[in-house]
Amino acid sequence: MVTPLFAFDFGRDLPPLLRGAGLTIGLVLGSGIAGTIIGLVFGTARSAPLAPIRWLASIYTNFVRGLPILIILLFLYYEIPLLFPYATFSQAITAVIGLSVYSGAYIAEIFRGSIQAVPRGQLEAGEALGLNYVQKMRHVVMPQALKIAVPPGIGFLIALVKATSLVSVITATDLTRAGRNVTSANHEPLATFLVVAALYFVISYPLSLLGRWYERRLA
Amino acid sequence: MTINFAAVLPYLPVMLRGLAISLEVTVLSFFIGSVLGIFVYLGRRSTFAPLRWLGYAFVEVFRNTPLLVQLYLIYFGLPQVGINLDPFWSTLAGMTLNNAAYTSEIFRAGIESVPNGLVEAAGALGMRYLQTFRFIVLKPAIRNVLPSLTNQFIVLFLFSSVGSVISLNELTSALADLNQRTLRTLEIFTIGGLLYFLASAVIAGSSRLAERFLFRW
Amino acid sequence: MSTQPMILAKDIHKRFGDLEVLKGIDAEVDEREVVCLIGPSGSGKSTLLRCMNALEKFQKGHITICGHDLTGSKTNVNEVRRDVGMVFQSFNVFPHMRVLDNLTLAPMKVLKVSKAEARERAMALLEKVGLVDKANVYPTKLSGGQQQRVAIARALAMQPKVMLFDEPTSALDPETVGEVLGVMKNLAEEGMTMMVVTHEMGFAREVADRVLFMDGGVVVEQGAPKQIFDDPQHERTQAFLSKIL
Repeated sequence: MVTPLFAFDFGRDLPPLLRGAGLTIGLVLGSGIAGTIIGLVFGTARSAPLAPIRWLASIYTNFVRGLPILIILLFLYYEIPLLFPYATFSQAITAVIGLSVYSGAYIAEIFRGSIQAVPRGQLEAGEALGLNYVQKMRHVVMPQALKIAVPPGIGFLIALVKATSLVSVITATDLTRAGRNVTSANHEPLATFLVVAALYFVISYPLSLLGRWYERRLA
Repeated sequence: MTINFAAVLPYLPVMLRGLAISLEVTVLSFFIGSVLGIFVYLGRRSTFAPLRWLGYAFVEVFRNTPLLVQLYLIYFGLPQVGINLDPFWSTLAGMTLNNAAYTSEIFRAGIESVPNGLVEAAGALGMRYLQTFRFIVLKPAIRNVLPSLTNQFIVLFLFSSVGSVISLNELTSALADLNQRTLRTLEIFTIGGLLYFLASAVIAGSSRLAERFLFRW
Repeated sequence: MSTQPMILAKDIHKRFGDLEVLKGIDAEVDEREVVCLIGPSGSGKSTLLRCMNALEKFQKGHITICGHDLTGSKTNVNEVRRDVGMVFQSFNVFPHMRVLDNLTLAPMKVLKVSKAEARERAMALLEKVGLVDKANVYPTKLSGGQQQRVAIARALAMQPKVMLFDEPTSALDPETVGEVLGVMKNLAEEGMTMMVVTHEMGFAREVADRVLFMDGGVVVEQGAPKQIFDDPQHERTQAFLSKIL
């Protein structure tokens, strides 16, 4: 009964998994950066002085956060070919778009919370010194908000690593997809996916430790 | 490409049936997982070191690996050692274990949020630890973590969509299926998305109402 | 009336890690006596008080309180706490229960008193501390002085034989200090045995039967309030009093 656990041929089957892990990391980095940019824009928009801007940003962040990532990915997977019937491209691009939209909403919410967490006294001091809105945001609020945003940001990054596993469903060859491909060849799902899980753990656990270390530093 | 929402409306009952399954697996895994989570929390606080380490390992493994991989292990891997679970039970098992890991952390935060002075005062009045826990610690602890618990419930609900990959007939698989049949991608996914979003919003709103009624101080 | 003191502490030593906080304390409190512990911060007065109801453990010495021996490992701590009431500096009123429930909880759950009797007791005590109209209010709506009076009533609801007060007014606004001291004074006049750690020298002078001055983990001097405040013998006592009076 124990043999299925150890029936993994590392020499033959590990390289495809590692290649998949490479795409996973690439997706995390790509959509993480894109999501941060989107999140910065919409996050600051949530505290903008103009109400319509606030509402628009609010609709985006609240709606996307009420959806499973899989829905976003499936929608793009089916809809993009309908919109661009002559384009052929790897599903990795669809994956990045979907994950970026997803990340943007969550990161925007993190920024919104961090901006709010900056003590009011700071804003008032900025005003008393005669700074205008842009100057206040740039020199007083954002630097402090960014520091506050790091622990929840790292928390989201870990969630993002796990979310990338769903791109396997739209046939992008990430770590999970590689796992399925390997399994259909070696018929050892238990051993193979244990290795897959271990690889995800290796990517994600250091982030967990980093987040905890940073939180302790802030306290 | 024409957009026609009316053509999709007859399929609403199919989607709602899928939504019901999503909610069913969410509710079950939330409550069973929370009870399990309490035990995991107690294990992490025990004086027996191997138990503490086991609890820590459990939480870290389930928080740092994707639910999809966990479901693949349960649905495809376990049959290799003789355990065969159907899509519903596989999804339920995976989500329950996942939830246990997260709620044990939430409970820890909640219990630690109760000021120590209150526990001392209860002790000074002669109350035993179990009494103190039941009357003094439990209610304030739950109230403090109600937002986190609600958030966890919604996260779990959104996670239920992963079950579609191992053929669970919940909402997402219903949407994918309808899309194949009608090819009205935009309409189907818009309505599906709205269903998920509205369900999440209702859950969040109910939690805020509950907070106001149950925890009136 | 027994001749045994209510509280008898002999040669108490306690350390926190490497720091010895109590270096051989002897103290006794007779029935109906009010003893005040005064002294600078860090002198060990609160620690000594907390040893009396086993909130702190001590390494060496004996404490007998209301006939319970705290030194033995067989002491049932919960039984001790039924006879000894404590009031904390930070009140520690239960915020998620109304005032009345704060008072009835322990009598019902620990003393197994009936709900009706617990409520009766509670209302009588609220009348005594002047808060009858706040019985159905949540403590967060009350001022500090009111919350502390609730805490006193809550401790009294257990009908203790001794009351311990750990700097009961230190966290209060000056205007509310008086109402709490007033309640404590009434309690003393009714014959409650009390041990009070306090910085309120006026209260000590007026209400205490005996004052213990502690510094650096030992009892430096003790005696009647008149003697301690007007004619301190020890140099350290004189130094401390000159700084605050």
